Order: sequence, then C-alpha cells, then structure tokens
Amino acid sequence: MTDNRNAFADSENLLSAWIKTASDFWGSMLQSWPQTETDRAGSAASETDNKEKSRSRESFETVLKTWQTLSSVAGDTGAMEAVSNLGHVMPDVLLKMVRATWQGVFNLQQQWIEKAGRIGQSTQAYSFENLDEEVFRAWTDVYEKEFRQFFYTPQLGLTRTYQEKFNQAADKFNRLQAVFGEFMTIFYMPIEKSFKVLQDKVAKMAETGELPEDYNAYYRLFIKILEGRYMTLYKSPEYLSVMGKTLTALEEFLMARETITQDVLKGLAVPTQKDLDELYREIYILKKKIRKIEKKQ
Amino acid sequence: MEKPRIPVDLIVAKLAEDAEKARVRAQKASDVLLQELETEIAPTPYEILYEEDRVKLKHYRPIVPVQYKHPLLVVYALINRETMLDLQPGRSVVQSFLQYGIDLYMIDWGYPSRKDRYLTIDDHVSGYMDNIVDFIRERHRMPKINLMGICMGGTFSVIYSALNPHKINNLVTTVTPTNFDTDQGLLHIWMKTVDVDRMVETFGNMPGDFLNFGFLMLNPARLMIDKYVGFLENMDNKSFVENFIRMEKWIFDSPDVPGETFRQFVKDGYQKNLLIQSKMRVGGRRVDLKKITMPVLNIYGKYDHLVPPGACERLTGSVGSTDVEDVCLETGHIGIYVSSKYQKEFVPKIVQWLKDRDEGRQIFAAGRSASKKTAVKRGLKKTVSP
Repeated sequence: MTDNRNAFADSENLLSAWIKTASDFWGSMLQSWPQTETDRAGSAASETDNKEKSRSRESFETVLKTWQTLSSVAGDTGAMEAVSNLGHVMPDVLLKMVRATWQGVFNLQQQWIEKAGRIGQSTQAYSFENLDEEVFRAWTDVYEKEFRQFFYTPQLGLTRTYQEKFNQAADKFNRLQAVFGEFMTIFYMPIEKSFKVLQDKVAKMAETGELPEDYNAYYRLFIKILEGRYMTLYKSPEYLSVMGKTLTALEEFLMARETITQDVLKGLAVPTQKDLDELYREIYILKKKIRKIEKKQ
Repeated sequence: MEKPRIPVDLIVAKLAEDAEKARVRAQKASDVLLQELETEIAPTPYEILYEEDRVKLKHYRPIVPVQYKHPLLVVYALINRETMLDLQPGRSVVQSFLQYGIDLYMIDWGYPSRKDRYLTIDDHVSGYMDNIVDFIRERHRMPKINLMGICMGGTFSVIYSALNPHKINNLVTTVTPTNFDTDQGLLHIWMKTVDVDRMVETFGNMPGDFLNFGFLMLNPARLMIDKYVGFLENMDNKSFVENFIRMEKWIFDSPDVPGETFRQFVKDGYQKNLLIQSKMRVGGRRVDLKKITMPVLNIYGKYDHLVPPGACERLTGSVGSTDVEDVCLETGHIGIYVSSKYQKEFVPKIVQWLKDRDEGRQIFAAGRSASKKTAVKRGLKKTVSP
C-alpha cells in the first residue's frame, strides 16, 4: 500500500514536470514565430502567403493556449490526483467499453440467429415433401419476412432520397424474382402432371392392348391432356393469386425503376416520362376544348 | 404366335419411316423457306378518305357495282389490327363484301403512342367514330349508314348506336362482348382480379405485346406448342407456310391500347358489367341499350375462348329493337373471319340480312337461315337446323 502511494507521488511529480517542460517549450516556440514571420514578410512573400501564415499561427496559438490552460489545471494537486487515478480506473473503463461493444455484436448476432431460426419456422409452414412446388413460395415468404426490411432501413445524408429509391428498386426486383419463380413453378405444373396422366393412360392402353401404332397419337393425347390441365389450373384460386402477385410485383418493379430513371434523366436535363405525360395531358385537354368549339361553330 | 400387347415393332417401324419423311421434309422446307414467299397481308386496294390524329378511314374500291343503298362501316377492335379481315385473296372478308356489291368503309385505329394514353372510350366513340360516321353520311348524303363492329369494336358500335340511334340504319355485331359477367371465358375470370389502375399507372398505354402474351397464356398447349408443331409438320408446303406467316404477321402486329380506354373497358365492362345493364356512362351520358331501335344482327362463335357465347348472347334481349337475330357459328374467335368454311357462311349471311333491310323489308330471322343457328326474336329462342 505504502509502495503504491510512493509510486503515485512519483508519477504525479513526473507528470507535473513533463507538463511544465512541454508548456515552456511550446511557449518559447510561439514567441519566436512573429520574428520569423516578419523576416519572411520583409522578403518577397506574397500577401496571400502572409494570410495563410497568419491562419497557421492562429491555429498554433489556439492549440498552445488550450495546452497551457490544461497544464495549469494539471498543476493543481487534486486534478493531478484525478488524472493519476485513471491508472486504476482505466481497466474498468476499458472493460465497460469492450463489454458494451461485445454486447452489441452479440445482440446483432443473436438477431441474425433468430432470423435464421424464423426462416426455419417460415419454411415449416410448407411441407417440403413437395420440395420444388413449395420452395419458391417459401423463399418468397422468407424474403418478405426476414430480408426485405434491410432495404427499408433509414438512409441518411444528402443522397438519402436517391439511395432510398435505389434500395426500393432492388427490393422490388428481388421480390419480382421470387414471385416469378413461384409463378413459373405453378405454370410448369400442368406439364408435369400431363406427363404423369399420359403415362397412366398409356399403361392402361397397354394392358388392354389398345396402344396406337402412330406415335403422333401419343403427342395428340398429351396436348389434349395438357390443354385440359391448363384450363383447370387457370380457374383455380391458387393460380389467380399467384398471377395477381406476379403482376403486382412486375408493376411495382417497373414503377420503382422508372423513378430512378427519372432522377437520371433529370440530372441530364432530359424530359422525363412524367414531364411528357403532363404535357400530353395538357395537349389532350386543349385539343378536346378546341374540337368542342369547332363542333359548335 | 400371340400378338404382343405393346406393338413395339410397329411403333419403331413407324418412327423409322417418319424419320425418313422428316429428313425429306426438312430438305424441302429449306427450299420453301429460302424462296420468295407471298406473305403480304391486306392486299385489297383502298384509299384513305378521312384522317384524324392516328385514326384513318379506309374506303375500299368496289370491284362490282354497288348494290346497296346504305354504305357499311366496319369498326375493328383496338386490340390487333383490322388487317385480319383481309388476310389474303380467297380468305378475305373485305373482298367477299366487295364481291357482293357492298360499299365498304373501315376504320384503321392506327398505332396509339404515349400521347394517346388519356383517350377514353368517349373519345373513340363520340369523337373519332362520330366524326367518321358524319363524314360518310355527308359523302353519301344519307341520314343513316350501316354499322358493323368486331369484338371490342362491336362494343364501341353498340355504345355508338345507343347514343346515336338516328345515324345508324342496321347494326351488325360480331364476337362482341356486352355481358361481361360470365365465367365461360378465362379472360372474364382473370380480368375481374386485376388491378387495372396500377396497370395503367405503370404502363401508360397497355403494351400490345403484353396483351398478346396474355392471349397466348390463355391456351399455351395449343398456341405455344401445338401451333408450331403443326408448322414443323407442314413447312415443306409453300401455301401452308405462306398462310401461316400471314397469320403470324397479323397476330403479332399488336398496337398498344390507350390507357384510359383500357381502364374503363376493364372497370365498367369486366369488373362492373355496366353495359348490358344500361348503366355505363360515356362522356357523361348513360348508354341505354333500349335506345338501340334499329335492326340488330349478333354473330358469335360457339368455341370462342376470348368472347364466349355467354358474353354475346344477352345483347339481343337487352336492346330496344324489335328486329334482332342471334347467329351462333360453330367456330372460334378468329375462325369466323378466316376459316375457309365460315367464309362461305359468314359474309353471305350478313349481306343477305342487310339486303333484306336495305330494301325496306324486315324479315324476322327464325326459320330463314340455311346455317345451323340460334335465332332470337324478342326473347323467343328457336334453334334452326339446316
């Protein structure tokens, strides 16, 4: 304990002495500045140079004054003690900082793990017995629940609006891809099922010995089955739902892409589609008015 | 020896035989495809007598002396082009009309551009159509003309006739949707669910290719697979290839549909079914079907997957006319106009019907036709066999 106190007293003296020396050194440096500057001013230095030198000197003076203020405070015994105590407190501070950072990283990681867990939950809603039928639907669902929100995190700064629009277009594109996959899966189903039905029918015909000799007959049979399957599919609520979603996704993406295009065209001083539409509307209304007047005459 | 259940030997033999045929066909097809082909569509000569914005009025040069008092104006749909009525010599509704001595006019709606996106049904019906009808009336110094509408153009013609009955002598509607509340056609099911406002906001005008893709999707087995398999099987036949290319040219020549017109057509038609209830409003005026007092001939296809019979057959029972007739032909949406079989039935039927009324005679339809049809006279339905 006594050793510690002695060590503390030594470090206090050492710090005090170092501050004083540093203060003196920079003080005399500052005093020597005007002479040097005057000498230079006397030479062929331009006015602009002088201004720049003055700004440098001002900055130097500000720093030095701050230093002097600090060192005068440091000269105070209580303050020195507080500074010296840092040595004891520092590990705690560092620990707290590290702990906070770690906690943040950990929480983030945990959120990701939870999200990953929810992916599992989302996919559980679909039985993966019919993997190819369900996988696109599951992916759409997972994307919408777990990933989509990243594209909607608030953007900051001058370019935030543009970034926001770009992110939205990226999201709409991803969504279109996901929904289109789902659409293609459901669209392909009649082909797959028609082959199965054809196989069954051929098997039955084989059993009864009624197999056609002309392979074209198999093709015609397949097309007939396929046509029927599509008609059934097209009237189903599932197809109507997927078709509606695909159309919506396509339209939303095209609109999002259009807003980006408009920004680009605006920057190039080229009229945008919106500008032209406004103009077309005005022309349309004017033409209508003129025709009405013409008919009255 | 017992006959095998699966005639593998015969199937394989047939395959081998067809492989040889396919080789020969491919060789011939290459010759056919590399030579000059006659694939021009709409070859019948005409002149443009009236133009307004993108819209033109075609007048076909008569090939025999005109035999009818009232000229006939044909109004095609905004989807695809009127060239379908004049695909090729021998399969041309236009030429058939001309051969019967009809003085024929046809509206060419042109290709709407982005600036046309605000054009409504009213602009088409009470604007372009009305101006054209007035132009023809003035040209012929007649108070009334005959009007024939096709598909969406038929719907426009119905609206026009209800709003301007004093200008129309006879109304012929072909594959015309007027009752949209039916689940016979997929289009009627699908259109009920689409968000048309967002569609129009996104696209401005409805892109023709987008609509065409939708039509292909209605029957992918036939329209995306079987059709081209048929082409492959017949591509060594020059005449078949030429006809096929003509049809391809027509079907994929798809103008965009003005956004506001599309919006109203889907909302008031497919989603609210206002027209057949006489509740639709165009240009602030109610379209009262009871005001259609001129004779009406309504032709539709039994196997039409775009405008099924259920979408067409209620019209004659809803109009105010006492002279109405329904004709249901056993074909599809396009077959009525382009199939060789119905070329012999469709135009002669219309011409005869117009002739009867052109001369002032009003002969009610039941029991008159040589074709198998359903005739309707004020709610009295009769099926007439040949």
